Amino acid sequence: MSMTKEETRPDRRSFLKALSVGAAGASAVAGLATPVEAVAAESASDKRKKRYRETDHVKAFYRTNRY
Amino acid sequence: MARMKFLCDADRCIECNACVTACKNENDVPWGINRRRVVTINDGKPGERSVSMACMHCTDAPCAAVCPVDCFYTTEDAVVLHSKELCIGCGYCFYACPFGAPQYPKVGNFGSRGKMDKCTYCAGGPEDDLSAAEQAAYGSNRLAEGKLPLCAEMCSTKALLAGDHEMISEIYKERVSKRGYGSGAWGWKTAYKETINV
Repeated sequence: MSMTKEETRPDRRSFLKALSVGAAGASAVAGLATPVEAVAAESASDKRKKRYRETDHVKAFYRTNRY
Repeated sequence: MARMKFLCDADRCIECNACVTACKNENDVPWGINRRRVVTINDGKPGERSVSMACMHCTDAPCAAVCPVDCFYTTEDAVVLHSKELCIGCGYCFYACPFGAPQYPKVGNFGSRGKMDKCTYCAGGPEDDLSAAEQAAYGSNRLAEGKLPLCAEMCSTKALLAGDHEMISEIYKERVSKRGYGSGAWGWKTAYKETINV
């Protein structure tokens, strides 16, 4: 009786092991398959650069706000 | 050098909340967050005043001073921006800001706040200008397009001014010299009689 228990245990464990290995493999494959989203970040000087320009659009805003 | 500022002419603001709506729509602001809001004092009483408030883009910003991950930066246009990549949602900036500008989406489990969101002066964030990533995280970058924040541009009574601080302070000075302050404003005596002073 005890012998049969010994026999069944490794089977159960191997099943769990296979399951965990499979899951890890699947996640690794998923990790490889999905492209890493590269967020194009600006450099430290670029992100601080001046963006305001006195365009015609902005000049029209100033003009219409005078009255 | 041009320094970007907001100036709300309280004599003109009629509490229509169009600036709030425009901001939310232009920048796809998430539920539960208002980057701009209208504050009314003495609502329904004589002397009622409304002011449209958002991030004031402080010169020495207290939010930036307390941030433990240093996610804030000031641009050459004097606009205070932040990086949502770096933000850890600690909430320190929310406590430090005297205007209540930094807000959190409050979508996380276990009381986590999520990434802080605040007015960007329609100038985007640290991602590439006018990129999809910038649009998704921070909203539009009108400054890079040669425009000004939409809240100010579509103010129906021209109460909310935005742009170069020298220019908008000059415009405000002109208005005041023409109409005077408070009770000297055009139409004031018609609406509130001469007996009411502010």
